[in-house]
Amino acid sequence: MLEDSTEIESRPSQRREFLTAAAVVVGGSVVMTLNRARAAAEAKGGGDKKAKADTAKEDKGGKEDKGNKEEAKAAASANEPYDPTQHRWAYLIDTTKCIGCGSCVRACKAENDVPHDFFRTWVERYAIGGEQSHVDSPEGGMNGFGQIHVPFAPTKAFFVPKMCNHCTATPCVQVCPVGASYRTPDGVILVDQDRCIGCGYCVQACPYGSRYLNEKTGTADKCTWCYHRITKGLKPACVEACPTGTRQFGDMKVENDPVRLAIEKERVQVMQQHLLTEPNCYYLGLDKEVR
Amino acid sequence: MEHARHVLRVLFALVVILGVFIVGRSFAVPESYGFRGPYRYSNLQEQMDRSKPLHGGTVSCTGCHEDKVDTQEGPGHKSVNCEVCHGPLGKHANADKKIADALVDKSFHVCERCHQEIVGRPKDFPQVNLQDHVADVDEKLEGAVCLECHDAHSPRP
Repeated sequence: MLEDSTEIESRPSQRREFLTAAAVVVGGSVVMTLNRARAAAEAKGGGDKKAKADTAKEDKGGKEDKGNKEEAKAAASANEPYDPTQHRWAYLIDTTKCIGCGSCVRACKAENDVPHDFFRTWVERYAIGGEQSHVDSPEGGMNGFGQIHVPFAPTKAFFVPKMCNHCTATPCVQVCPVGASYRTPDGVILVDQDRCIGCGYCVQACPYGSRYLNEKTGTADKCTWCYHRITKGLKPACVEACPTGTRQFGDMKVENDPVRLAIEKERVQVMQQHLLTEPNCYYLGLDKEVR
Repeated sequence: MEHARHVLRVLFALVVILGVFIVGRSFAVPESYGFRGPYRYSNLQEQMDRSKPLHGGTVSCTGCHEDKVDTQEGPGHKSVNCEVCHGPLGKHANADKKIADALVDKSFHVCERCHQEIVGRPKDFPQVNLQDHVADVDEKLEGAVCLECHDAHSPRP
């Protein structure tokens, strides 16, 4: 009986030792981790600036293949690292000027290596006659449009270039299960190719049909407003290619920016306004039939 | 307090699980996550550096071809980017050196893309029914027929 009681007494002390040791290990590692996180956050504030400055120097080296004027302009902007919080991009499309040549579609395909049969931007033609309407987009309008064959006489017809609207209240970012789709501080919706799992939920969610699944990478893809160009002071490839000035790109934070002035002074529309996605692509001359 | 022992065991287990979760999360979550929102902030820089800009615009052509650019008289093709007909800069030159011939397509197809009269084009845009247009000067719609009368860079005859 006496031996039993000694064994019983040692068990609580053994347990106490074990619990203390475990609490120290767990508590210590938690504290260590939180410390690491705090240190990383502090370092990041200064580290990000350094990373941007390094990239700016690389940018300057790659500018030599452009003409003299472009080189001077780009070098000036490359000296300062790009700060996304200083810009708020917007796009203006004047459908009264579009001739449906498809130069924009071709330029985008070349610039962004868009897979065959998919489009980051495309042009649609609407032909409307009374109650009837007809929409066509041969190969996204890439090689222009041909003659139209419809069983009615159209009373009005026009072209509508379309792309990702980079909405402020976008459904595609909302539905992404892994947080791969996001809105940058300068208003561009991007897809993190490393985090995207290719589920396609965002492709379904977009009401403008601007997303697709890239077969090669297995991830979601779409118009990025040529982020690799606009952050270097250039315009997106489609804007660069448009021969009639239908497509315009601008910065809402710049006072005399032509796009900002147009949005403030002209009567602009957005597509599918009833869905309240707050697009940042503004249209002039958008007809009620455009869906 | 012996009756509380079972509760304490469960609480301890929960604390251990929470600790493992916090430690594991610090390894799994990328460092730049959450900087400006629920996404990996370092991806912004990756997207900026994803590829080198391919198009240069008309200004990029003046570096070597200033004479050609100067031949353009307005209003017609003066506002049109050279790359619309001649292809992107990046396919033609790199770092001030030519890497391949620029696209020079003299056939009527290049002109047809913009100037063929089709349903949908704005009425004030210069467009013609090409078949009738060439028939007026007794030509057939084939090959480089447009260039017989029009200078591609200053097309107003």
